[in-house]
Amino acid sequence: MTLNHGSFAHTDEHCIEMKKCLVIICFIIGIAIPAFGEPAKRIVSLAPNITEILYALNVEDRIVGVTNFCDFPEAAKTKPRIGGMSNPSLEAVLSLKPDLVMVTTDGNARQFEERLRSLKMKTYVFRARHIADFPSELRSMGSLLGVSKKAEILARELETALAKRKSELSREQSMIQKKILFVIWPDPLIVAGSNTVINDAITMLGYENSAHRATSAYPKYSLEAVLQEPPDMIVIGKGHPDMKKLSEGILQRLSFVPAAKNGAVCYVSDNLYRLGPRVINGIEELEACFK
Amino acid sequence: MFQIKILFLIFFSIAAFLCALFFGPKIILPWTLGDIEKEILLSIRLPRVIVAFLMGTALGVSGAVLQGILRNPLADPYVLGISSGASLVAALGILGGVTFLGNSTIPVLAFLGAMMSGGLVGMMGMRKGGLWPERLLLAGVGLSFLFSALLMLLLSISNDEGLRRALLWIFGDLSMSDWDRIPYGLIFILSGLALAMSRAKALNVLILGDELAHSLGFSPKRERLLLFISVGLMTAAAVSLGGMIGFIGLLMPHIMRFFFGADSRLLIPASALGGGSLLCIADLLSRSVLLPQEIPAGVVTAIIGAPYFLYVLRRKDVLSM
Amino acid sequence: MSSACKQHILELNKVCFSYENSQRFIHDLTFSIDEGDCIGLLGANGSGKSTILKLASGILKPTSGNLLLWEQDLCAVNNKNRAKLISYLPQMLDFTIPFTVREVVGMGRYPYEILPAMTVEDALNRVGLLDKASARLSDLSGGERRRTFIAMTLLQGAGLLLLDEPLANLDIKYQIDLINLLKHLKITAGISVVMALHDINMALQFEKVMLIREGKIIGIGKPEDVLTEAMLKQAFDVEINVQKNQNRIYFSYEDTV
Repeated sequence: MTLNHGSFAHTDEHCIEMKKCLVIICFIIGIAIPAFGEPAKRIVSLAPNITEILYALNVEDRIVGVTNFCDFPEAAKTKPRIGGMSNPSLEAVLSLKPDLVMVTTDGNARQFEERLRSLKMKTYVFRARHIADFPSELRSMGSLLGVSKKAEILARELETALAKRKSELSREQSMIQKKILFVIWPDPLIVAGSNTVINDAITMLGYENSAHRATSAYPKYSLEAVLQEPPDMIVIGKGHPDMKKLSEGILQRLSFVPAAKNGAVCYVSDNLYRLGPRVINGIEELEACFK
Repeated sequence: MFQIKILFLIFFSIAAFLCALFFGPKIILPWTLGDIEKEILLSIRLPRVIVAFLMGTALGVSGAVLQGILRNPLADPYVLGISSGASLVAALGILGGVTFLGNSTIPVLAFLGAMMSGGLVGMMGMRKGGLWPERLLLAGVGLSFLFSALLMLLLSISNDEGLRRALLWIFGDLSMSDWDRIPYGLIFILSGLALAMSRAKALNVLILGDELAHSLGFSPKRERLLLFISVGLMTAAAVSLGGMIGFIGLLMPHIMRFFFGADSRLLIPASALGGGSLLCIADLLSRSVLLPQEIPAGVVTAIIGAPYFLYVLRRKDVLSM
Repeated sequence: MSSACKQHILELNKVCFSYENSQRFIHDLTFSIDEGDCIGLLGANGSGKSTILKLASGILKPTSGNLLLWEQDLCAVNNKNRAKLISYLPQMLDFTIPFTVREVVGMGRYPYEILPAMTVEDALNRVGLLDKASARLSDLSGGERRRTFIAMTLLQGAGLLLLDEPLANLDIKYQIDLINLLKHLKITAGISVVMALHDINMALQFEKVMLIREGKIIGIGKPEDVLTEAMLKQAFDVEINVQKNQNRIYFSYEDTV
């Protein structure tokens, strides 16, 4: 082909400039869209606490899939199921055509999340394991989902509650720490150990977790150890509709412990079993035990 | 010679019982009893050690009897699927949150499960009015696989917490032993033991073979059935008291045969004492090693038992019982 | 004493038997075993020898006909009482039995409430195994194992011994030893023996031979009368030459190559 250098030379330069601008603009948009683009519309939650948070952030209509164990709030039970926490069905997740899958580090398999990413699925990993890290996690979630305002409200609520207890704590520093034994299940005796949200709540309120020396999160506990180092209060969490009846046996076995003898036994719900919006209620419940 | 060995075994059993009672996890000596110590000793440790001894007795004797009636050195209560059936029903109860009998729910379910699977195995092993060793063994192994598969299915669809509790029970849990459970355990295990002892001669001739047993004036079918019933009673009681604890039924008869010979009239009581002592010690370890946590007793017996089993395998006369 | 008044130990009257799902039949079996008898049950493999012995011992129940033990119906006799009178040793003796010789022989006492006069040592002495009393059964040779069980039956005090091919797989020395032992026991302890075998030479050692073919008795009597060429051809389906020489019988066969 023949080029008429003369007349086209000027246009070439112009073209190149145009092309450069186009590329730069595309580049900006290319980066910007993921960061500032539309928040996810079809979310799959692979953990019950995430589901609860999504409902609290008022984005429940964007949820397209939950696990078999997502039972709170009631409405969550009507969402399509994709399997368990440790063994969700990849097919079920993908067939829902989500644009965001949310997982936790505590209960979901890492390989599953890696697999999702290798299939070019957008994922969000909930990393907080302790109450102290919860507010900032809430904020990240909020900005990702485009509901930063609501997330901020929740986070502030939590921070205020935490700060309040902290200040009360420093005032009562001189008090001897009371020991709490948090019973998850009475027969066999399973308690909350040190690496749990329950432990966070207990220490936050200025008390000591009787079972803090156990190495695992929910250890099967020695009855003798309870007798040797008796707690001041036994808290029994709700693992079953009729915990009072179920716990009769263990309380009788532990009748020698002052807490059991004097009825320093408190029944609470399962608010502290998940790192979710109900932890505030959980802390309040725990506090109420001592009043 | 035998008298010395028997005396030694009796002393050893008493020593094991006392060690388990006083030594772990914290040493409590009988002469330094404070109120807490007394409480711990009487309400927690004593029932627990008694249950451990009873369970060990039941498992040891069941192993000895089964190895005789099946003429197989690898037979033990677990091979016959009695405990897998019990575990399946118990797991169903644990995961289903069934609590109609309060704290006795799971033991009762386990007992029923054991009786049901024992009955099933017995029925499948019957032919022409009698229990046949080969059929019994095959039926037991087959049912054991089936129950284990169902159990695995159940566990795979359960939530983490239920799964954990079910597994803790399955791997042997003596932590909730209390005085209430002991009478029932005692009745079933002692009846089973008495029945087995009364058929000890029959067990001896069954080992010789059905035809020789008949020649010596015994009815092989009837004796095998009675002995199988004794095993069913003892195993069901043992599993319902504290879950699945392996290796004792398999190994204790071999160990006792080494010291006392194969005559069932000695082997049965020896396996009873040996099994009881072993489980007392295993339970002592299970509650002392990882304080304040407890590891399942079944794990301890497996850790002790498996290497010993492999060692026994290297000896040349392992094929003979 | 005329034979008409003499009681039989065991009498079989028109006994019939068939295994289920099998075409093995025992047809109209009628014979009797008397005190002092030493009978060789001869026949080809599968001819019914083991079945006849099991019927005689009560392990198998006949489908028709009856068996009388000292004139009493065998099925009606109490197990333990029968054990004191009849003893049966199977062909296969499990070599993995974990007992010692002494323990096995001691089991011969089981049918009794009161201990019989004979001791384990006596019995072992009679069979020549006193020095092996503490040995485990699995360490003995085949012949020694069989002798252990014979010692057991001695302790059992049974007058009638039913042995299923006890000579199988034994070296000729032990075969002869065993036959001599049984002959000796017959004389000293008055034991009657019925033994299944399929070696026609050994059959000559017996006073009485019963030739079996397909579940039927085709001949019963003294060896020289029963073991004729015609009978042997019937029983074993092969031509065997029988020669008598100075009261001894010799068997030989034609080389048909």
